[in-house]
Amino acid sequence: MNELIAPALPFDMKPRAREAVRDLKLQQFVGNATHLKDTQRGGIFGRDFGPDYDDLRTVARDTKQYALDHLDELLERFIANAEQSGAKVHAATTGREACDIALDIARAHAAKSCVKSKSMVTEEIGLLPAFEAAGIKTLETDLGEFILQIDGDAPSHIVTPMIHKDRVATAKSFVRELGARYTEDPTELTMIAREHMRGLYRAADIGVSGANFLLADEGSAVICTNEGNFDLSVGGPPVHIVFVGIEKLIRGARDLAPFLKLLARSGTAQPLTVYTSFVRGPRRAGEHGGPKEVHFVLVDAGRVGVLASEKRDLLRCIRCGACLNACPVYRKVGGHAYGSMYAGPIGAVLTPELERAQGTASPGQPAAGLTNYPDLPRASSLCGACYEACPVKIDIPKFLLHDRVRLRAQGLSPKSEARVLALWRWLAERPALFRLAIGAVRLHARMLGRKDGDGERAWLSRAPGPGAGWTQSRDLGIATGESFRDWFASREPRPKKPGGSQ
Amino acid sequence: MRVALFTTCLAEALAPRALKATVLVLEHCGVAVEMPTAQTCCGQPMLSNGLPADAARLARRMSEIFAPYDAVVTPSGSCCSVVREKYAGLFAEGSRDRAAVEALAAKTFELVEFLETKLGIDPATLRAKTCSRASTATPPATTTTAPLNCHDACHLRGIHRHGCTAPFLKAAGCGDVRDLPDMAQCCGFGGMFSTQFPEVSTALGEEKLAHVASTGASTLVASDTGCAAHLAGLAHRKNVALRVISPAEALAESLGLMEIPA
Ligand code: SF4
Repeated sequence: MNELIAPALPFDMKPRAREAVRDLKLQQFVGNATHLKDTQRGGIFGRDFGPDYDDLRTVARDTKQYALDHLDELLERFIANAEQSGAKVHAATTGREACDIALDIARAHAAKSCVKSKSMVTEEIGLLPAFEAAGIKTLETDLGEFILQIDGDAPSHIVTPMIHKDRVATAKSFVRELGARYTEDPTELTMIAREHMRGLYRAADIGVSGANFLLADEGSAVICTNEGNFDLSVGGPPVHIVFVGIEKLIRGARDLAPFLKLLARSGTAQPLTVYTSFVRGPRRAGEHGGPKEVHFVLVDAGRVGVLASEKRDLLRCIRCGACLNACPVYRKVGGHAYGSMYAGPIGAVLTPELERAQGTASPGQPAAGLTNYPDLPRASSLCGACYEACPVKIDIPKFLLHDRVRLRAQGLSPKSEARVLALWRWLAERPALFRLAIGAVRLHARMLGRKDGDGERAWLSRAPGPGAGWTQSRDLGIATGESFRDWFASREPRPKKPGGSQ
Repeated sequence: MRVALFTTCLAEALAPRALKATVLVLEHCGVAVEMPTAQTCCGQPMLSNGLPADAARLARRMSEIFAPYDAVVTPSGSCCSVVREKYAGLFAEGSRDRAAVEALAAKTFELVEFLETKLGIDPATLRAKTCSRASTATPPATTTTAPLNCHDACHLRGIHRHGCTAPFLKAAGCGDVRDLPDMAQCCGFGGMFSTQFPEVSTALGEEKLAHVASTGASTLVASDTGCAAHLAGLAHRKNVALRVISPAEALAESLGLMEIPA
């Protein structure tokens, strides 16, 4: 797998974050695109739903939560209905198993080529490298994914995978890899990709896709795309395999509406994706199109473990990408800094959690989780923009805080920090000492700081101990004049009241 | 109504003027403020950094110290949100501590919120109010016309007050309040995040300062002491002339309760 999204573990986020902040192109592309999408998201929800937006999110949250709470039942119903319509349903506990199932299917058809539409779960389980290793040539048909594939690059956003690249980069790789003539015109670029792909769709032995929703009542999958590439990948090849995480289940078409209303609006500020496609079993007698075989591979890969944990809410995620677009940190560091195909706020909590849950699921393996991603829970200012943006109301900051507790408990966050905080707390329980400590800070500033500006504050440009990280790029301004308490006490005396004494 | 000032440790250390302003503005509105001297730190640093047991001890202290009061007011949006949103989760449901911190949460307010929602003050009428012991400074003939921006602390989101400061200051006649582009984006402070990921924190702060500069504002009102210290510190390091104050100071100055430093 590409080391950008499957790095050596334990993963050190900091160097990537630092590099990204200095990368002017990334700053421009990711910054502009996320701001634009975030603003448009606010706009379309305001226009289309006004004050009802929040109710819609509540409905979506509860509907998805209901499905998660009844997953056993829904799984059974889905399997029965899908099989009824002639599809084959497979269950995979691990990513490896999911790949093996697909390889078996491929082998049974002596498949040599595959067309694939965009899917996060296939990235997660490493399907493409497994196919390539088995000699099955696989084409990414989503335009963004295709460009990343020919560039040996990796997705950096769950909805707009090549958010970190621009047209110029695309134009260059099309010249280099496809022998196309240089053009930066988006329509022409699309036509070049289209030309390249059309024949391959027809020739492919297998089509592969993910799914946005699984409908238990209907035994079908719903796939939301903008380019129509899914419909070609399901219409051309004789065999189609849908890979899908088990958390995508909902009761059925009766519950679909709120999600379709929310998904595209949250992700790309469209009322609906251009295509909303349904897959239900193979071609029936008398039908002319469609695959002769349809397989659903239901992937666990840690999800059952997450479901049993306090982080079960994370499984509500519909991968709309809104939290990434809203996140100030994602905007600055881009997706690759998260070392996972799941970037941004949701990735920061989901990646370690899936890892932990999988560790527990396979005997003999330690439950790694946060050990492998100690930076992710800390790479957040806890601003809450993700929670505000999330269409299914996942309280991501709450889970980041959870993980910070776990980091501490597992000895994965700096000891020096814990010592400072413990001392702080100890002092805070001793008001007289605490005031003395504040006084000491102010005295330190008065003696060593520079006085300028309004003269109210003294400025330190080199703070000691824990303040050093602060003064790397900022001065520390400390008010040195009369303390608030002295001022307050010096005002006209008033009768003492209970609660006002120590 | 007995009203207590929740000073916050950060404001006592870094921004005592914001606290003075809070007292003066409240008194201007006819609210006498008391200051429980035993208060120290609300526990936010421990809570945000994986030490809930330590935070719980301080939360319990807070609930005891402020128990005698009917309302608790603070100029810090962030510390306010911790009391309101986070304290309850530190204690088991049904416990006495839980009930105590919930009671505290129900009566704790950020200053502008307190004025607007609890006192129900129409900001346009603020100027007309006069209070017994406030104005030691002579009210200026004209209030500040320095162009200013307002950046709300992200934690005000949690108490549904994000974006409320600027309109209030505007209506209260706090000079030339200009819209800050992309106000909703975090300034990059984030408590210890600022030292754990200093480059990212700084980049966000610089973006904020660039937005401020684009409006021509010379004063930035930041509704949290931490955000203010971060942005003021960045500006100072870069030799950018920018005055960073709290909403309380902006109000106190425009009401003539405090002098604007030369
Ligand atoms: S966590 Fe919420 S906002 Fe983020 S991708 Fe998932 S559904 Fe969308």
